[in-house]
Order: sequence, then structure tokens, then C-alpha cells
Amino acid sequence: MDNRRQARIHRFRPALITQIDDALPDYMNLMGMIFSMCSLMLKIKWCAWIAIFAALVGFANSRTTDDAKQVLSSFMLSISAVVVTYMQNPAPMTIPFMQ
Amino acid sequence: MRSSMTILFILFNLLSYFTWSVAKKMKDEDFSEFDDFDEDEFVVESPSSPSASQLPSKMQSKKPEVVNTDYSFQSPSSKSADIKVNDEVTIDDEDEDDDLMFDEEEFETSDGYSSSSPTTSTIPDLKITEIPASLTGNHWEAYHCEAIMLLLLLSYLINFLLGRSKNARLADIVYRSQRDLLERNFCLVGDNGQTRTTQSADDSTINDSTTNKMQKESESLYILWCSGRTAIESMLMEVRLAKRQCLFNSLAAMIKSSNDMLIYTADYSKEDMETFVFCLAKKHCAAKLHRDMNDLSQFCSERKTADKRGLNNGNYQILSEIGEVSSAIIDNRVVDFIEKYPDVLEYIHISDQYTGMKIQNDTQQTSPNTANTTSNAGSAAPQQDALNTSERSVRHVLIIAFNLVARNSRSLEITTETVCSDYLRFVLQLIDRVNSFRFTLKESKNKAIKNRQRIEEQFLKNVYQQRQEQAQQRREEKRRAEKEKIMQSDDPERQRKWEEKEHKREMKRRQPKMKQMKVKAM
Repeated sequence: MDNRRQARIHRFRPALITQIDDALPDYMNLMGMIFSMCSLMLKIKWCAWIAIFAALVGFANSRTTDDAKQVLSSFMLSISAVVVTYMQNPAPMTIPFMQ
Repeated sequence: MRSSMTILFILFNLLSYFTWSVAKKMKDEDFSEFDDFDEDEFVVESPSSPSASQLPSKMQSKKPEVVNTDYSFQSPSSKSADIKVNDEVTIDDEDEDDDLMFDEEEFETSDGYSSSSPTTSTIPDLKITEIPASLTGNHWEAYHCEAIMLLLLLSYLINFLLGRSKNARLADIVYRSQRDLLERNFCLVGDNGQTRTTQSADDSTINDSTTNKMQKESESLYILWCSGRTAIESMLMEVRLAKRQCLFNSLAAMIKSSNDMLIYTADYSKEDMETFVFCLAKKHCAAKLHRDMNDLSQFCSERKTADKRGLNNGNYQILSEIGEVSSAIIDNRVVDFIEKYPDVLEYIHISDQYTGMKIQNDTQQTSPNTANTTSNAGSAAPQQDALNTSERSVRHVLIIAFNLVARNSRSLEITTETVCSDYLRFVLQLIDRVNSFRFTLKESKNKAIKNRQRIEEQFLKNVYQQRQEQAQQRREEKRRAEKEKIMQSDDPERQRKWEEKEHKREMKRRQPKMKQMKVKAM
């Protein structure tokens, strides 16, 4: 028995996807920006590296519908933080609690 | 988009490496001005003459002056002789000479410096001390922390690429194993809601069986929309996979295991489904659903362990509004399926009052479910709209969730390939079962109607209360604005009048509202 009915076709609506609270990409973007600012203002190298990590995690967990510009800007900010921090002080990084 | 972003990221890494190497080179060139000097030109004095070693360059610059003063030393007599010759001019040049000369005692110099001949090679030799390599920072070994960071980044990136490809492969397997059965049951398989015509209506596109019509919502979520069938309006298939693309999630999964899930959500129209709320779920899942889902918490008062044949091991619990429904829905087919695939069925949730989870209830109060909207992309309406509608927007749904687990020591991919079509067949049977079920007892129908009326009244009361609060807030703001305006107007008469009016209003509000009874005069 053919159960198909052409007359009963309905178009897809994105609101019908089961919403699950996943704020990880947003937190990671925010964290990336905060650590980038810290590394640029306070010249702390390990902050810049953590900013790159945060941007990468945010990118990996982001949804397709999310704005790609935000993820890209987070990346660019963190990489520029690393570059600027090392140009200001090319000495190797020292982790505070491991000295 | 993802691949271009990955390429961009790699390019930025290369750019930062080049920038860093250029910065290092520039720093090395800072000291290049000292590289060309010969060692013979400078002789470093012994430690007994610290002043000489401290001022080698100074001595170098002062050297012509020293020579000059030496000349002046040597021929003071001639000078004074000259002066003496001119009897009339008695200029004492000693002070002048003193200004120009170095005081011999001020600087301790070696004999070489006091010699008059400028041609003698008594230039002190400068020996550049060797600085340990670790202090310069130019040695690669000093950058071990950076190397660790780069390694971690690389490993995360590699894990991302591997996890993403595995998830994509799994989703593809799910689609391919169910494609035929889906196309036999639905007119429309795969739709993103944005193209002007659906793929089935578009005659120009060749129905290529190899194209994957699933939509990728994220690296771990793939969806497929199916519509055009009897009994239901639509069915949404969600493949929710574990976040293999994120290294931290993979590590967390070792502690708290997370399964790959396959969730089918079938939407019914009002006439296609009886009015009841029912849920069969695994124990831990049942507790969570009972707590989080609006309809289950409102309509189902308690959780019972499922004791029927095949469900005796106590793994599953039932939440049911109407008693009759449990025996009607959990029939032999369900039991056989659970026996054949133990631990696969996560939950079955059937509801005609589905409004989503409790936290998101405010954002899901959109306009009533209009099935034929093509223009509306379905964005969540703000809470304000919810207050303005006096209707609760409910959906009539059947949601079935399966766990994708590896069985019989086979890999996950092979297991998925063999069992997915069985899952879909089970879903379609249950869809038809729910569509055909109607209450046999009149009490069940009455109970359902009574429950819905109760919930509707509660909802209307809430809406009314919120509207009242909003109106009150608006009135307060209006009064505040009026007061500010009056205060700013600098007209004492107007201020006084307004204050009187306010006072009267306050008194009226404070007075208890008394009902007036009219007594008819006899």
C-alpha cells in the first residue's frame, strides 16, 4: 500500500529542531576575546595561547547557522594577540606557577 | 565554509611564524654594529684600572683632546715663554689650561695614554664576553613551552578533522541505510525550507540516488525532513552524534559516556491523533524528561515501572496521563523490538500538548502551529508575543529516540548499517498505531478533556496576571514621566494642582472598596 500523499507535503521550519541548551560556542568566543585583551594589555604570553585554544574550541562546536564572521574575528584577534605579544618580548614563555 | 576556514587558520599560523622569525632577525641585526670591530683595536685594561675599562669609548673620543692637552703639557714653558716675551701681556693661562686639560689625578690611566705620540698603537683591546645561550633567548631549546602549545594545537586540529569525518561517515551510513524505505513512504525526503520549490516538485533536477539530502546543522548534528504521507504531517529525523570533533568533549566522554542518538519526531494534525500524553523511557531518562518537559510534568503525575512482558527487568518506566493508553501503545511489536534490541530504545514520547522544555517554554510560544507556512523561517517569537496570544501553541507529536551502539563486537558503522532500517520500520508502525488509536472508554475522554481545561485555565490566568503587571508598569512609567514634566515646568500652581490630584488618587486607592447596596424605599 502506497502511503505517500502529495497533498500532505509541508515545508521544513528550523524552529522544529529540538532545541538543546548549548552555550559552549558563545562562552568560548567570549573567553577568547577576554584572554586576547589580557595578553595585549598585560603582555602575558600564556593568555594569548589560551585565546587561540578558546577560538579553536568555539569554532569546532559552532553550529552551521552561526555567524562565521564572529568565529573568524575571534581567531584573528587571538592570533594577533600571540604575534604582538611575541614581537614586544621575544623571550620564551614562562608559566607563573611552574617557575 | 568549514574547509576555507581551516585553510585560513593554517595560513594565519604560517603568517605568524614568518612574522616571528622576522622579528627575531631584526633583533639579531640590532647588535650588528658591534660585529665589524677588530679585536686589536681595543685592549681591555686589567681590573686594577676600572675607570679605563668603564670608559673605553669615552677615552676613544677624548683621545684627540688628550693629545692636545699633552701638547699643552709639554709646551707650557714655551707658552709661558711666549707670554713672558710679551711683557705687556701677562696672561695667566693656567686656568685656561686647567679647563682644557684633564686633571692627571682624576683619571687613572696607564702609561700608554700619557705618551705624547699619537702614532703609537696603544688602543685598548675590547674583549666581548661570551653570554650563555640560554640567556639570549635565541636558542630553540628555550622555547619548550611554545613547542608544547603548538603540539597541543596541532593535536586538537587533527582530532577535529578525524572526528568530523567520522561523524560525517556515520550520518551518511544512516541516510543510505534508510533512503529506500523513506522514499517509499514519503513524497518529500530532504528539505531545507529555503528553496522556492521542493526537490520533489523540481522536475529539472535528476533524482540522483547518490546525493545525500541530509542537512548538516553542526559537526555533530545532521537532520532530514520528510513529508507527504498519510497519518502525519511531517517527520524530522535527527542524527545527534557525540562531539567527536572536540578533543575536550572526547576526553569528557571517557568519564561520562555519551551515545550517538537517532531521534524521530513525527508531527500530527489535530484530527490525526487522540488527546493523551504518554512516555515510555529508560529510568534515568524518565526522571529527566519528567522534570524538564512541560507536558509530562503538567499531565503525568507519577512514574511507574514498566512491568509488562519483555520489560520485566525494570529498565523502563512509564509516564501516562490515561491508564488505557499504556496497554494500547505498548503492544507486542514494541515488546518484541525491545527484546530484539535491548538498550537501544531510549524513550517514546507521545503528546498532543507538546510545548518543549520548561526553560525554553517562553521562546517557543510562537503563533499556533500553521503547517503550511513557506515564508516564515520559524524564528522564535519574543516573550511579548506570547503574552499577547491567548492560545497556547501546542504540537501533536510522537518522538522516538534510539541509541546507536555497536553490537555483537562489530564496529559502530557496520551495526548502524544493518539495523537502521529496522528502527525506521518500527517508527512507521508506531506512527500508524498512534494514528489509528482512539479511546474505548468514555471516562478516558472525559479525564483528558478535564485535564486540558485545567491547564488552559492556568495558562490564561498566568497570561492575565502578566498583562496586569505590564499595564501597571506602564501606568507607573507614565505617571513618572508626567511628574518629571510638571517638576521641570517651574509653575508652582501647576505643581500644586498635580500634587493634589495625586493625593486624591492615593486616598481613593487606600480606601477599602465597599460595595454599595441600594435599598428600595418602601
